[in-house]
Amino acid sequence: MSDFIERAKFSCALGGALTTVAGIPRVVPIVHAAGGCASSLSGAYNVAAGYRGVGYCGGNMIPTTNIAENNIVFGGEDRLAEQIEHTVKALDGDLYVVLTGCQVEIIGDDAVSIANRFREQNVIGVSSPGFLGNTLKGYVAVLNAIIKDVIRKSDTKDARTVNILGVVPGHDVQYRGNLDELKRLLRLVGVKANTFFGTDESVETIRGYGDAALNVVLSPYVGVEPAKTFEDIHGTPYIVSEIPIGPTGTDIFLRQIGDALNLDIALVESVLRYERVSYYSFLERIVDIYSDIDLQRFAIVAADTYYAHAVTRFLANDLGWIPHLTAINDIEADDAERQADYEAKFADITSETKPKIIFEQNAGQLLKHVRDSWELNANNKYYDALNPAFVIGSGIERSLAEKLGAGFLAVAYPVSNRVVLNKGYAGYKGALSFVEDLLTGLIAAR
Amino acid sequence: MSKYSDELTYNFTKGIAPPVRETRIGVCSAYCGTCGDLNEDVKSGCAQVQSRKFAQSGGCQLGLAVGIASSITNVVTIIHSPLGCCSGFGGQAGMRKTQRETRGKRNEDFVWLHTNMDQLDVVNGGIDKLREAILYAEKEYNPEAIVIANGCVPGIIGDDIDSLVNELNGRLSAKLVPVHCEGFKSRYVASGYDAAYHGFLRSLLEPIKQYDRVFPDEGQDALERYKNSRTVNIFNVGSNSPGDENELSRLVSALGLFPKVVPLHNSLDDLARLGDAALNVSICATHDDYLLGHLKELFGTPYIIDTLPIGIKNTNRWLWKVAEFFGLEDEAARVIKLENDQLLEALEPLKKELKGKKIFVGGGETRILTTAEFFSSTLGMELVGVKAHNVDRFVEEILEDVTGPELVIEVAAGQPAEELNIINKLKPDLYCGHMGANGWVARLGVPNLPLFGMGLNFMGYSGAYELARKAVKVLKNTNFVKNISANVNLPLRKEWFDTDVKDNIKENDLV
Repeated sequence: MSDFIERAKFSCALGGALTTVAGIPRVVPIVHAAGGCASSLSGAYNVAAGYRGVGYCGGNMIPTTNIAENNIVFGGEDRLAEQIEHTVKALDGDLYVVLTGCQVEIIGDDAVSIANRFREQNVIGVSSPGFLGNTLKGYVAVLNAIIKDVIRKSDTKDARTVNILGVVPGHDVQYRGNLDELKRLLRLVGVKANTFFGTDESVETIRGYGDAALNVVLSPYVGVEPAKTFEDIHGTPYIVSEIPIGPTGTDIFLRQIGDALNLDIALVESVLRYERVSYYSFLERIVDIYSDIDLQRFAIVAADTYYAHAVTRFLANDLGWIPHLTAINDIEADDAERQADYEAKFADITSETKPKIIFEQNAGQLLKHVRDSWELNANNKYYDALNPAFVIGSGIERSLAEKLGAGFLAVAYPVSNRVVLNKGYAGYKGALSFVEDLLTGLIAAR
Repeated sequence: MSKYSDELTYNFTKGIAPPVRETRIGVCSAYCGTCGDLNEDVKSGCAQVQSRKFAQSGGCQLGLAVGIASSITNVVTIIHSPLGCCSGFGGQAGMRKTQRETRGKRNEDFVWLHTNMDQLDVVNGGIDKLREAILYAEKEYNPEAIVIANGCVPGIIGDDIDSLVNELNGRLSAKLVPVHCEGFKSRYVASGYDAAYHGFLRSLLEPIKQYDRVFPDEGQDALERYKNSRTVNIFNVGSNSPGDENELSRLVSALGLFPKVVPLHNSLDDLARLGDAALNVSICATHDDYLLGHLKELFGTPYIIDTLPIGIKNTNRWLWKVAEFFGLEDEAARVIKLENDQLLEALEPLKKELKGKKIFVGGGETRILTTAEFFSSTLGMELVGVKAHNVDRFVEEILEDVTGPELVIEVAAGQPAEELNIINKLKPDLYCGHMGANGWVARLGVPNLPLFGMGLNFMGYSGAYELARKAVKVLKNTNFVKNISANVNLPLRKEWFDTDVKDNIKENDLV
C-alpha cells in the first residue's frame, strides 16, 4: 500500500498521461472524466514545468466528456462516443488519445474499446485513472499504447538508430533542452536518436521508431516497462542508462552507447575529447571569480531518481562542490531493495566527502534530515556551521533554502520560479547552463 | 441582484454537505445567443438544461473549495484523493508568501498532504490513510485547523470522512474541517465556494465567548459597542488582490466606518470575531451568498449582496449601498463626487486612446458585466460580446441594466473552441478575459489583458484607473500577438470556425 505524501512532487497517472501527450506536436487528448480533471492537471504543468505552457491542445482546450453525477449512475460510454465523434470534426490532430479519469474507471466504462471503434480516424485509447499512481505511471501507460498502437512493425533494424525512453516531458522540466543535446551528442558519434519529445519529432517520425536497433532508458526505473513492451512487440533490445550531466556523466553515457552499438571506439573518444576541451574553454571563464570569492558550496540535493544521482555526481565529481545530503523522493519507504539498488549508484562519487543518502517522500521532513545531518549550534563561541550551503531541488525546497540561508536552484519538478525554454542540463552544453544558473544566483546581488 | 438573494433561504448547515448550485439556485452553463434571449430563457428555465456535444475541460469545484479553505492562517490541507487533485499546488506554493506578505500577514509555508489513494484504496477505502495523514499533520505542524477536502474517488466509493472526523474530534488540538467538494457532483464550479464555506460554518466558525469584565468598565464597553456598530466586514474572494482590498477599505473608511477584510487569509481568531460587525458586504454574489446568508443566522449580522465594485458606476453603487445601510448618504455623496471628479479627469487622456475600439470580455458573470460596463459606458469602447462561465439569477438585473438586448453572449466555462469561433467573427480590437483564455486569444492574434490578477488592482476607483491604463498599455505594442498568431497554430480546424456555435448546444439534455 502506498503512503500519504506531504507536498507531493507529482500529479496522478492522468496528469502524467496528459503531460506526455502534450510533449508530442499535434496530438489531441480526449479525456473521459469529470469536467475539471484535464484543465487542472494540464494547468499544473503549464506553470510548474518552468512555464512549459499548455501546448498544442492543453489546458481548457482539452476535449472532455465532462461526466457528472448522472453518468456515475447510468454510465458515460455513449457520451464518450459522442465526444470523440465531435472532437475529430472540430480539432485537427495527427493522433487522438482517449485518456480516462478515476470516475469512469470506477463505474466500469470501457473507454479503450470505444476509442478503438474510431481507430480509422487515428484514435487510440489509454486507461489512465489517477488512482493508478503518480505521473510516471501515466507516462508508462501512454508510451505502452504508442508502442503497441502507433509504432509500425519493422523487420529491418538500423544499427545506428536508437530510441530514448525514460524522459518524461514536463516532469523533466528541462526535457526539450536535454533531449536536443543528447541528440546532438549522439549525432557526433554517428547515431540517430529518436527522442519522442525533442525538436523535430512528430507522430509521423514516431511511427517509424520500430527501425531502431536499441532502446536507451535514461532513468533507472521509469522507462523500463515501455522498453520491455517495445522488446516484446518490436524485438528491440534495451539498455538502462542515466541522464548524463557534464563531463563525467557524458563520458560514461557515450561509451555505454558505443559499447552497445559496437561503435568505433576511436571516434567516440575523439568526440569526447573535443567536447571536453570545448566545455573547459567556457568553464575557464568562472575560474577566477569561483576562486576569488569562494563559490564552492555544501550541496543539498532533493530530487527523484531521475535527477538525484546525476545532479549529485556532476556537483561532486565535476564542479567540485561538497555533496552533503541527497534526498530521493520517489522510492517508497518500504521498498528496501530499490533503495539499496539506487544508493549503490553513489559509489562513483569521487569527492573526499561522500553524500548522506536518504529516501523521503514527505517534503516537509527534509529540514529535519538536514538538521540531523549536522551538529546543532549549542551557542558555542566557535561553531562549524553547515554553510555556505546550496539547495538544488524543486520549487518546494525554496523555503528550506530560506530557512538554511542557502543558495537555491529549482531543477526538479515543480519549478515555477523561472522560465525554461530551450535550456537543458544534460550533456556538455547543458552542464554549462547548469553552472550558469547555479552561480548566477550567488552573484545576482552584485 | 439583491432581490434574488432575498428570495433564497439559508438553513443547510445540518447536512454534512451543501446542496450543489444546480439544485440550490439553478444554473445555465451552456448558451449562445443574445443577452435579451438569455434573460428570457433563464427566467423560463430553458437555459438551465442545455449542454453541449463537443465539450472541453472547464474547472473543478475541488480546486476552488480548497483555494478558499487553505488560505486560512496556520492550517494544513489534506486532499483525500489520488495524487492529481490539487497537484497544481506544487507550482503555486511559493505564492502564499507574497499573498500573505502583501497583506501584512506573517509568512508561513503552504503545507498540504495528499492521501495518495491507489487501486487498493479504491477497493478497501482510504479512511486509514486519511487518519494517518491527519495524525501526521497534527504532530508535525500543530496547526489550528486541518482541512480535509474530499475528492471524487472517496466520494464514489463512499468513504465516510465525517465519521472519522467525529472519532478524532476532541482528541486533537486542531479543528477538523471536512469539505465535500467532489468534482463530479457539480458542473458549476462555484459550488466549491459553498462547499468550503459549509465546512467553515460547521467546523471552523466558533463565535468568540464574551465574559463579563472582572472590573466593570462601562466606558470601554461603550467604545467597543460603538466600534462594532460601525464595523463593516468586506468579504474578499480568491481572485482579488491586496490592492483591491486596500482600495475598498479606503472607501469604507472614507465614510467614517471601520473596514475589516474577511475571510480569506484570516486566522481562526479573526474568524471567531466575524460577528463583531454591523454589516457584512459582499463584492461578488457568485462567491459568498451561501456564507453571508448563513452568517446572518449564526451571528445575526445583516448583509448586502449587490454589485461588484468594478468601474465607476458599480463602485458608486456598491459604496452607496453600504452608506445607505448606516444612514451616511450625505457622506457617500461627497466621497463619490470627489472620487468621480478626480477619476474622470484622470481618465480623459486614456479615453481618447480607447474610444471606439471594439472589446470582448470573458469570465465570471458578475465580473465581466461590471467590467464591460466600464469599458463601454465610461471609456467609450464598443462592447461586441461577452462570455460568462455560467449565468444564474444573481445577474438578472445587471444583465438587463448593463448590456443591450442584442449583445452577443456565450455561456461556457472554459470552452475556448466556442469562444474563439465567436471572437473570430466579432473581431474585437481588445479582449479582456479569465486566466486560461487569454493564451488562446493571443494565438488567434487578438491583443488581450487579464480580467483579474492577484498582483493587480481592478476594484474601486483606483482599480478603474488601473484597468483603463492597462488597456491603453496593451495597445501600445501589439507585436507579441501578431507574431504568435503568425507562427503558432491553434488546434481548431478551419471548418470549425465556419460553424455556428449554436449548433454545438444540446437542448433539454443534461447528460
